[in-house]
Amino acid sequence: MAAENELQVHAEDAGIAGRAARAAIAEVQRIEAKYSRYRPESVVSRINAAAGKDAVAIDEETARLLDFADACWRQSDGAFDPTSGILRRAWRFDVARVPLEAELAPLLGLIGWDRVERDAAAIRLPQAGMELDFGGFGKEYAVDRAATVLAEHGIASAFANLAGDIAILGEQPGAEPWQVGIRHPREKDGLIARLPVASGGMATSGDYERFVVVDGMRHCHILDPRTGHSARGLQSVTVHATSCIVAGSATTIAMLKGAIDGMAWLEALGLPYFCVSEDGTVAHTFR
Amino acid sequence: MAALLKAALALPVLALPARAGAIESGEVGLNILGYKERGLMRVTEPVAWGRVELADGWEVKGSAAVDIVTGASPELVTNVSGKPVQVITGASVDDRRTIWDLKVSKRLGEWTLGVSGARSSEEDYLSRAYGLEVKRDLNDRNTTLTAGFGRAADRVRSHDDPTLDEPRDTREYLVGLTQVISPVTVVQTSLQWGRGEGYYNDPYRHTLTFYPEPSVPAFAVDTRPDHRNTFAWITRYRHHVASHNGTFQAEYRFYRDDWGIHAHTAEIAWSQGVGGVWTLRPALRYYTQSQADFYTPLIPQPQPAILSSDQRLAAFGGLSPSLRAQYQHPGGWRFEGTIGYIENASRFHAGGGGSEFFETLRAYYAIVGVSRTF
Repeated sequence: MAAENELQVHAEDAGIAGRAARAAIAEVQRIEAKYSRYRPESVVSRINAAAGKDAVAIDEETARLLDFADACWRQSDGAFDPTSGILRRAWRFDVARVPLEAELAPLLGLIGWDRVERDAAAIRLPQAGMELDFGGFGKEYAVDRAATVLAEHGIASAFANLAGDIAILGEQPGAEPWQVGIRHPREKDGLIARLPVASGGMATSGDYERFVVVDGMRHCHILDPRTGHSARGLQSVTVHATSCIVAGSATTIAMLKGAIDGMAWLEALGLPYFCVSEDGTVAHTFR
Repeated sequence: MAALLKAALALPVLALPARAGAIESGEVGLNILGYKERGLMRVTEPVAWGRVELADGWEVKGSAAVDIVTGASPELVTNVSGKPVQVITGASVDDRRTIWDLKVSKRLGEWTLGVSGARSSEEDYLSRAYGLEVKRDLNDRNTTLTAGFGRAADRVRSHDDPTLDEPRDTREYLVGLTQVISPVTVVQTSLQWGRGEGYYNDPYRHTLTFYPEPSVPAFAVDTRPDHRNTFAWITRYRHHVASHNGTFQAEYRFYRDDWGIHAHTAEIAWSQGVGGVWTLRPALRYYTQSQADFYTPLIPQPQPAILSSDQRLAAFGGLSPSLRAQYQHPGGWRFEGTIGYIENASRFHAGGGGSEFFETLRAYYAIVGVSRTF
């Protein structure tokens, strides 16, 4: 996970804080090793290598994460698809170029969570070339697990941040909330809002993380598996939830649904959210 | 939706309460209004305002203003055989009015309770008011019901008559409904009733009429009913058009009172976002009212017990275009400026039939403001 990560832990003495922090970091590393698609021995790599061939046995943790991914897929009418990472092969955000439909079509044929064969103990990708990717929820899960491990060590005040995916375990000493800045979608290093958060998970999806601009049109890394093209209508969405994995998946689903449907869906979800519409105006704040 | 949260509960992660920090946030600002009515009267009004949201759902709002009114008070002299002549008298209006108001509200779950107080004073006028308001959110905050009560106790005095010190009491009742129709559409409607008792006369206003016969002109002091019951219905509609980065705003107000005035106000506006930091809002307002039963620019013979030549009680209409520009700096500063024009005239009265002697009013105004959120 090559990004800015941060862990702040408050405890009565530095020894307790240090032990808890080390355990939390170890937990994040464990999850990364288990679900990274860059590690050949990871669960994800083994599942992908067996695509079109055998089912791969999975443990309970993996099964539950896949259940969660399934709930996201259903909630998003298929826009959130754990097999859509393969679109990366056509979209290279270091070159200002939009892939041709002829390039996207074969990849779209390899996407389809509904075709994945799965039960509580095993999973099989039915077609060679299909890929499973935990990119949409793995990092969020890791930060939630870090907070959980800290709580198990008796910590009541901590802030865990994995590249913008945040879990907060209680206020800072003195009942001071943590100040979470929301990046300005168009101003580099600028903030569009700052929110005081006492506890909970928080995540942001934006069209500014990886993108290319071609003929004045911005194409971002949030790709719709039904079209192969970028999500449109919102510059950024931030959700505050009881866990980061819920917040993160909700922001991605809202981005994929676009301005009108995405905001309606967030309203129905009932969680506090902040979003910036395509024109740069703040369309909704937490209050 | 619940499915997402339920699936997350099956994961070996702690469900952390999604609590926002109990931190204060707020906004302070300063507006200056300039108003010019054909050289007749110029008003400048610096208003300072602020709003603070405190922990646990408390909110405090307040503003203070000083009106500086310079110019002259118009007086009407009429001639039965011709057009009334509006004369600017030497007894000038040169007054300073200070106003403040404060509102404290507290959110308790789905309920919000508010208490407000206001005071406005000038040399010849004093108003003290308080209000109570209850709001109830329903339907995931997509519906808000409002009920309010307000009471104002005023004293009317006069530079010209040191013995004048008359009370006026007004009670107002309000019920309202705000409904979010979709994430981009909101409708708000409210009904307001007012019941006032006391002194409504304008102590500076006299009506003078010259008749062909007899040669002595008739003279009447402004005398109005000692009560006024009002009713208003206001509806606002806002619809955000994401594809054009703009918001359509429309407002309609119906008003009637037992002085015989029926009025309609309609305003449409378009608020256009430009480049993420600018907002331009052109607006057009139309107003029309019927005349009060006792309005008369001429003193009839025999002279009635109540009469007023105040042309604000006449039948007329008005058109008012305005343009507002707002710049929102990402750092929290906001700058805005508004320019507007008002023309009230007899010919703008809906369906014709405006008061014959209504003196057309043309006025310009400008507002500049700066505010900052923290």
